[in-house]
Amino acid sequence: MNRIETDVIVIGGGATGAGTLRDLSLRGIRAVLIEKNDIASGTTGRNHGLLHSGTRYAVNDLESARECISENRILKKIARHCIEDTGGLFVTLPEDDPSYHSKLIEHCKYAGIPCEEISVSEALRIEPNLNASALAALRVPDGTIDPFRLTAANILDAQEHGAKIFTHSYVTEILKEGTSVTGVRCFSTDSRDTFEIYAPMIVNAAGVWGQRLCELAGIELKMFPSKGSMVIIDYRINNVVVNRCRIPSDGDIIVPGDTVSLIGTTSRKIPYDRIDELTVDEDEIETLLENGEKLIPNVSKTRVLRAYSGVRPLIAVSGQLDGRDISRGIVLIDHERRDGLSGLVTIAGGKLMTYRLMAKMATDLVCKKLGVRKKCATHRLPLPGSEQKIFSSRRVQKFTGIPNSIVGSTFYRHGERVSQILSSDRRNYGLVCECEMVTEGEIEYALKNLNVKNLVDLRRRTRIGMGPCQGGLCAYRAAGLFPRYNAASSVESNRMLKDFLEERWKGIKPILWGDALRETEFIYWIYEGLFGLGDINFSDMEGEEHA
Amino acid sequence: MIYDCLIIGGGISGLTCGIRCSAAGLNCAILSSGMSSLHFSSGSIDLMGYDGDHRVVYEPFEYLESFIASHPRHPYAKCGTSGIRDALFFFRDQLSAEDLELYNNEEKNHFHVSALGTLKPTYFSQRSVFNEKVRLAFQKRSKIAVLNFSGYRDFHPALAISNLRKNRFFSDIEIVTGNILFPDYGSIEKNPFEFRSIDIARIFDTEKFLEDIAGQIRREAQDAEFASLPAFIGINNYKRHHQLLQQLTGLLIYEIPTLPPSILGMRIDNALKSRFAALGGVYIAGDTVTGGAIENGMITHITTKNNGASPVRASQYVLATGSFFSGGLISDAGGMREPIFNLKADFDAERRQWHSPSLFAPKGHPFLEYGVATDESLHPVTQDGDTVKNLYCTGALLSGCNPVREGCGGGSAVATGYHAAEIILTHTGKKHDKA
Repeated sequence: MNRIETDVIVIGGGATGAGTLRDLSLRGIRAVLIEKNDIASGTTGRNHGLLHSGTRYAVNDLESARECISENRILKKIARHCIEDTGGLFVTLPEDDPSYHSKLIEHCKYAGIPCEEISVSEALRIEPNLNASALAALRVPDGTIDPFRLTAANILDAQEHGAKIFTHSYVTEILKEGTSVTGVRCFSTDSRDTFEIYAPMIVNAAGVWGQRLCELAGIELKMFPSKGSMVIIDYRINNVVVNRCRIPSDGDIIVPGDTVSLIGTTSRKIPYDRIDELTVDEDEIETLLENGEKLIPNVSKTRVLRAYSGVRPLIAVSGQLDGRDISRGIVLIDHERRDGLSGLVTIAGGKLMTYRLMAKMATDLVCKKLGVRKKCATHRLPLPGSEQKIFSSRRVQKFTGIPNSIVGSTFYRHGERVSQILSSDRRNYGLVCECEMVTEGEIEYALKNLNVKNLVDLRRRTRIGMGPCQGGLCAYRAAGLFPRYNAASSVESNRMLKDFLEERWKGIKPILWGDALRETEFIYWIYEGLFGLGDINFSDMEGEEHA
Repeated sequence: MIYDCLIIGGGISGLTCGIRCSAAGLNCAILSSGMSSLHFSSGSIDLMGYDGDHRVVYEPFEYLESFIASHPRHPYAKCGTSGIRDALFFFRDQLSAEDLELYNNEEKNHFHVSALGTLKPTYFSQRSVFNEKVRLAFQKRSKIAVLNFSGYRDFHPALAISNLRKNRFFSDIEIVTGNILFPDYGSIEKNPFEFRSIDIARIFDTEKFLEDIAGQIRREAQDAEFASLPAFIGINNYKRHHQLLQQLTGLLIYEIPTLPPSILGMRIDNALKSRFAALGGVYIAGDTVTGGAIENGMITHITTKNNGASPVRASQYVLATGSFFSGGLISDAGGMREPIFNLKADFDAERRQWHSPSLFAPKGHPFLEYGVATDESLHPVTQDGDTVKNLYCTGALLSGCNPVREGCGGGSAVATGYHAAEIILTHTGKKHDKA
C-alpha cells in the first residue's frame, strides 16, 4: 500500500479546500488534498456563479453581507480571469413591497456596500432586456464568478508551490492514535488503489459531506442540507446581474455567465441521505421560469438549456426550519477543543464568495497548531492567470494568425496562462468545441496540467460541451484526444464518452421540450443510432490500466 | 399552377415518394426547407436491425412477417411485407439509374462498422461499405488497417479499434492503425485541422492528390488487405475515386461513416434529387411551408414563406417533414404538435413519460415513437377527428416507430414514402406506369 507523509491533509476539493491548499502552500506548509470526485464538483460548482456584493444579505444577515463585499473587492484583484465585473441591479416590480427598496439602501449603508439608486430608464439603458414595468432600481457591485476556474486556479497555484492533489479518491478511514488523528486511508476510484496519507493535521473542508467525515472520525457534526435548483437558458440574455428587490425567495435572480444566463434559485430542505442524488422538481422549474420571466420577459422566448441543483452546506446551529433563514455564516471548529480529538479542524458553512476567508481562517488555526508564523498572503497574491491587469497588445501579436475569437476565449478562461496554451501550430488552435471555442491546444494543456481524469472533468476546466449543442460533436472529438495525450486508454475513452453524455442528460431530462428535445434527438441519433455507444459492453474492464 | 402531387419535405421519404409519382407521369413538386436527415445518417439503409429485446435480426423480411402481425400501429404494418420489399428494391433501382449501387446480403442483414467500432445491422450499403469482396475478405480473416487523416477531428481510429477488438467476430483478426498526412494544398483560409468530412470529400473530388494519398495508404496499411478510411472519398466522383484508390493501393478500401455531415448519406441525397429532376419533378429548396387550409376533409391549398400570400395548390399532398429534429413535430413544456396542419399526434400527456431515466437505456425513449397517427392509407386526422383525404403522412413524422431501437429508420421512410405514392397512383389511375 502506498504511504504518503505530509504536514496537512485537506479533505474536499471545493473552493474552500482548494483555497486552503493554496494558503497552506503559500505559507510553505506541505499539504495534500483529497477529493472524492472532481474539483468543484459538489456545492462549489452547483450554484449560479454570482460574485455577491452582499446586497442580498444586507437586510437579514449583516455579517455575511460585510464578508461578501470585502471578499468581492479582493477577488476582483486576485481572480480577474475568473470574474466578470458586470455590476448588478435590484429592481422592484409592481407586485413587490416598495418599502423593501429603501430598507435595502439603508442596510447596504450599514454593511458598507455601495448601493446607488438609479432611475428605471437608466436601469433599462444598462439592461435593455429588463422588464420595462419595473418601478425602481438600485445599482450594486454584483458580478459573476466562474467557480470551476476559481477552484482550478487555486489548485494550480498550490501545485506550483509543491502541494499534491488526489481527485476521484475518497477517505475510507480516519486513522487515529489515542485521541489524535494521524492520517487517512483512501481509495482511488480511478486507479482502484488504496493508499494512506499521514499528517499531524487534517482540515475537513468537505462541506455538506463533512458530516460523514466526522462520523468516520467518531465525532458528530450535524449538517442541514438545503437544495437549491437553477435553470440555464441558452444565450446570454442579460449583461448585468438582475435581482428582484424583495425579501429573498425563489427565482429572484438572473446571472449572466459566459455564453448563457442562469435563473436562480429555489430553497428546499432535503434529508441528509439524499445529498448525492439531487433531482430538480417539475414545480421548481415552473417557479424559476415564471419568476425569471417577470424580471426579463425574453426568458419565455428563449430555449431552456438545462436544470440542476446544488446543496447548501449549512450547519444546523438552531432549530429553524427553512434553509434560507439559517445564517450562511462561517463555522470553524477546532475538534481538539470541542471533542477532545486533536489534529482535526473543520471549516464549513460560508459560501463560494467567502471561500478565501474560510481558507485563511482554517490555515491560521492550522499554523497556530503547527507553530508556523507566516502570515496569509492570499488577499494580495493574484491567482495564476490573473497576474496582469489587462491583456497586453504585445501578447496579441504573439498570436498573429490565430483567430481573435480563439485568443479571446482562451484568455477569457485561462487569463495570462493563454501563452502556455496557444501556439502558432495550426493543430494547436484547431477548434474541438465550436460552441465554446475550445481548441485542441487548450485540451492538451488541461489534460497535462489541470488534474483531468475524464471528459466531465475536462468540461469543468474548459467549458467543452456546455454550449447550445451540449456536447453533440465535441464530446466524441475530445474523447479521441485522451489516448493521443496518454490521458486514458481508448477503452476508457469510450466509457468516459458514455458517462459524459449521461451526465449531460441528467440536466437536460427535467427540461426535455422544445429545442432541448430536438437537440436530444440529434445526440441520441448520433451516439446510439450512428455509433451504437449504448451497445458497448464495459463490464469487462474493471481495473484496466492506463495505456 | 396546380400540381398533381405536392410533397412537403425533401428527405429520403419525400424523395422516394416523389420519384415514384414522377416516374408514373404525375406532375410532382417537393418543397424542402433545408438539409435532411440523410446528412446525419450512416448512408446504409436499415430495414429492421433489432428485435424487442435488442437482439440483432438476421433475416429482416422473415422477421417482419411476425413483427407486423404483433405491431399493427407500426408504419411497416401499413405497407405490408411485400409492399416494403417492392419499395426497397424500387429505391435501389432508382439509385442504380443514377450510378449509385446498393448492395445487400440477399435476404439477410449485413453489418457496417461504426466510427466507434460497433457493428450495425443494415440491409443496403454502398460498394465501399459492403459487397461480395468485402464479405469474402472478412471470411478469410484478412488483416485490417484502420486509417485516418492525421488531425481529422471527426474520426478516431483508436476508439473504433478498441471496440472492434472486443467483438468476437474480430477476435482473431489483426487490426493495425495508421495516419495519412493532409496533402499540402498551399495556402488556404480554413484551418485543415477543422476540416469536416465534406471539406475532405471535395479535395478527393479534385483527384489531384489521389496518388499521393494512395502511396501513403499503401505504406500505412503495412501488409493488410483491407484499409478503412473515414467516409469522405469524394462526393461527386466517389465511384471512380474509390476504384482508383483500390487499383493504386491493391487494397480493399472501406469507408466508415463519421460525425456529420455524412458523405455516404449525401451521395444518396444527391442521387435521389438528380433522379427526381430527371423524371421531371420540381424540387423547391429553401422554402418553408407556413400553413395550410383544410375544408371538408380536404386540403385546399398551402402557403409558403417565399410565396407570401399566394397559395400553392395540388390535388394530392404528402407530408414528409420528419421528426422533432427536422421540425416535422414541435414540442413545448405542455405537449406536442404537428406545426403545419395541426394534425392529431400520438404522445403521452405526462411530460415525465417522454423519456427513459438514462440516455442509453436499453429500451430507448418513448418520444422517438411519438408522431402523427394515420389510418391504413396514411391519412392523418385533424384535432377535430376528421380524416384528411388528400393528405398522406410518411417517414419519421409517423408515430409507432422507434427508428433507433428497431434499426428501421431508412426502411420505414422509404417504405411509407413509396406506399403513399402507390395509393396516390391508384387514386389517380396511374398505378401501372413505371419509368
